[in-house]
Amino acid sequence: MNKYWFGAVAIVWLGLAAVGLAGLWQYDNAPGEAANAPSAWPSHTHLTRATHAPTLVMLAHPQCTCTRASLGELEELLARTEVRPKTYVVFLKPATFGEGWEHTDLWRTAKRLPNVSVVRDDDGVEARSFGAATSGQTLLYDQAGALQFSGGITGSRAHAGDNAGRQSLLALLDGGRPARSGTNVFGCPLFTSGR
Amino acid sequence: MPYTAVTTGSRATELFEQYQSDLHQRTDRLFAGLLGFQWIAGILFALWISPLAWSGAVSRTHVHVWAAIVLGGIINLFPAALGVLRPGRLSTRFTIGVAQMLMGALLIHLTGGRIETHFHVFGSLAFLAFYRDWRVLIPATIVVALDHMVRGFFWPQSVYGVFVASQWRWLEHAAWVIFEDVFLVMSCVRGLAEMRQTAERTAALEQEVRTRQQAENDARELASLASAVGLALTRGTDPRAMLQQCAEALVEHLDGGLARIWTLNDSDRMLELQASAGTHTALDGPQAKVPVGVLPVGMIALHRTPLLARADQVDPHLDDAGWARREGIVAFAGYPLLVDSKLIGVMTTFSRREFSPSVQDAMAAVADSIAVGIERKRAEAELKSRAKDLEEAHEIQRANAQQLSGLVDQLRITQRQAEAATRAKSDFLASMSHELRTPLNAIILYSELLQEEAADQGQQGSISDLQKIQSAGKHLLELINDILDLSKIEAGKMSLSVETFDIKTMIDELLDTAAPLVQKNNNRLSVRCHESLGTMDADLTKTRQILLNLLSNAGKFTRDGAITLDVRQMAVAGRSYVEFAVTDTGVGMTQAQTEKIFEAFTQADVTTTRKYGGTGLGLALVSRFCQLMGGSVAVESRPGEGARFVVCLPLSGHERAIDVTEPARVA
Repeated sequence: MNKYWFGAVAIVWLGLAAVGLAGLWQYDNAPGEAANAPSAWPSHTHLTRATHAPTLVMLAHPQCTCTRASLGELEELLARTEVRPKTYVVFLKPATFGEGWEHTDLWRTAKRLPNVSVVRDDDGVEARSFGAATSGQTLLYDQAGALQFSGGITGSRAHAGDNAGRQSLLALLDGGRPARSGTNVFGCPLFTSGR
Repeated sequence: MPYTAVTTGSRATELFEQYQSDLHQRTDRLFAGLLGFQWIAGILFALWISPLAWSGAVSRTHVHVWAAIVLGGIINLFPAALGVLRPGRLSTRFTIGVAQMLMGALLIHLTGGRIETHFHVFGSLAFLAFYRDWRVLIPATIVVALDHMVRGFFWPQSVYGVFVASQWRWLEHAAWVIFEDVFLVMSCVRGLAEMRQTAERTAALEQEVRTRQQAENDARELASLASAVGLALTRGTDPRAMLQQCAEALVEHLDGGLARIWTLNDSDRMLELQASAGTHTALDGPQAKVPVGVLPVGMIALHRTPLLARADQVDPHLDDAGWARREGIVAFAGYPLLVDSKLIGVMTTFSRREFSPSVQDAMAAVADSIAVGIERKRAEAELKSRAKDLEEAHEIQRANAQQLSGLVDQLRITQRQAEAATRAKSDFLASMSHELRTPLNAIILYSELLQEEAADQGQQGSISDLQKIQSAGKHLLELINDILDLSKIEAGKMSLSVETFDIKTMIDELLDTAAPLVQKNNNRLSVRCHESLGTMDADLTKTRQILLNLLSNAGKFTRDGAITLDVRQMAVAGRSYVEFAVTDTGVGMTQAQTEKIFEAFTQADVTTTRKYGGTGLGLALVSRFCQLMGGSVAVESRPGEGARFVVCLPLSGHERAIDVTEPARVA
């Protein structure tokens, strides 16, 4: 193999690898569609809002692998906060799938979280009520039913670790002032495009 | 005989580099497998963790799966191919190091930044240390540092797990990697040192094995050389062909380019080329004749000592300056051919390798063998020439022997004829003597009777004539008796009558008879002997006759002188003899006369018989009788000073087997 040929191939190889990693990075950091959450607790939801504590709702796709990181962050959040909110993890179940489709490892993970209510959302009724479009969308309503936070609690797609969403929620729950009231959501779309 | 001069140090370096290359190649191939495995594992991992991406009720293959397939393939397959196709190269190792770090980044991405996945980076660095080439850690570490620096700058949360981080925090992470690198570098350095020690030990071992093999090969080749030279020297018939075979053996077994043998010519001043093997085989070239003392060959002959030198220091005089370099000739050795310090010639060898001490010893031995062989051939040629001369002489001798044999046969016939004639003569003489004695006795007797009658009748005139007749008859009878005795002796018919008698008595009786004979010329006779001489065993008659003949002779040749008989016993060589010495003061004899005095019918000179009378047989009979009785007779005399006859007879008288045909010797 000629030395120059090898050098050229090596440069191309490095370039392709860099482009590939950059593309992957780009993908991981591309946020999903933001929620159009109601500023007050929706009236036609089946979920019950707590009146003595904030209510935290996470809307998730049970098959979305990216949401595993969001559940991890939720667990971290609930472990750190001093004020325990009433927490719902609402898993989408499209009507086209049979019974039990939603009982994935995410479901089981959520079920293991303390003081967390896992709810099946048939055909996305609840998600639509809360205006969510991306798995991992997290909403925080205070005792009066006012929306305090709407966004994701991961820094990128499927990426665990410190992030702005979790820090803001912690601040809100602990009575502090959040850096941000909304963040990008990284996850699978809850609804098929065009539907 | 192949010959490689490899130093232990250079061989150790070669082995060390070989070990390194082998290790690099093995590790490259190992990484080729690992990279392939990583690619497959990444895909499986992606399929397991995030196989599908969902959009509501619709799913599709997750981007991570495609990333694992495509990007993982890009990252892994190129270095894996290098590991298979270009193992051992530094660029391959560097590429693999970079790929491992890129794969770490991809896996971290695929696992959502899990901290456990970061151990892939540290594991990969440790794995890269398998190369024992700390340089591989450099590009890998740079990739890690760059990744952290870039991502820390744009997205610190993805690498540091915090939302906000210092832009220099990548240095901390890079430092941890370098921290590991330090240990890995130490491991690499120590591993290389151990590898070098192993190479040095192996090189030393190889050197020892090579030395032993070389020694064995040398010994084998030298044994073959000695055998080939020995065969050539023992089986060769033509000296030049023999030396040519020796030269060819030197070339074959010593990796020689050229081997030559010169011999010293008869003038001892010129070396003549006899054999040349190798690159030049002509015997009529510029060195066909080399004077002693000229050129290295001549100097070897002059000093008679071996010459060892580099080939380029010895001018081969082959009209080809580049010959040694082109043929790979490096060494020259020349040996004088000596036999007992005598110069026979010179042997030279140009070789493609240095001459070890064992080879030098072998060449010296070969030179000695060739010298001896040449000398032996020369000796054989000379021997052959002498054998031819000897054969010719032998032929001549054989012819002479045949001729001699014929002469001997002829001589035998002649001898037999002579003996027959002698016997016939003796028989004739004996017969004739006997026949003559009868009438002679009658003549003597009758002449004596006639004398008495003439005296009685007073015929004085006849008496004188009758006395002459009687005297002549007696002389004739004496002559006949002597001839008869001599004939008996020569015919071997004379026998001895040995008896024991008293010597003194025998002397006294003898004097009664001899005294008148001695004293008739007015001589004085005296006897000197011991009174008790004892007895002797001998033939008394012949003893008396011997002494009577000697005394008679002495009286005959002495006038107005003295005649002495000395008798004594004596011992010679442990035996006892009786010596009778008759000394006179007569006319004496010359040396020539004494030499033939004992031959029959011989007197001192021809006038003796006429002047002194006698038959000329008396001393011959004395001599024969002495020998017959085992004794001897000798004479000493000078003209005018008389003579002395000495007779020695054995006292015991047992030595009788004497050839009496030979006359006695003169003392």
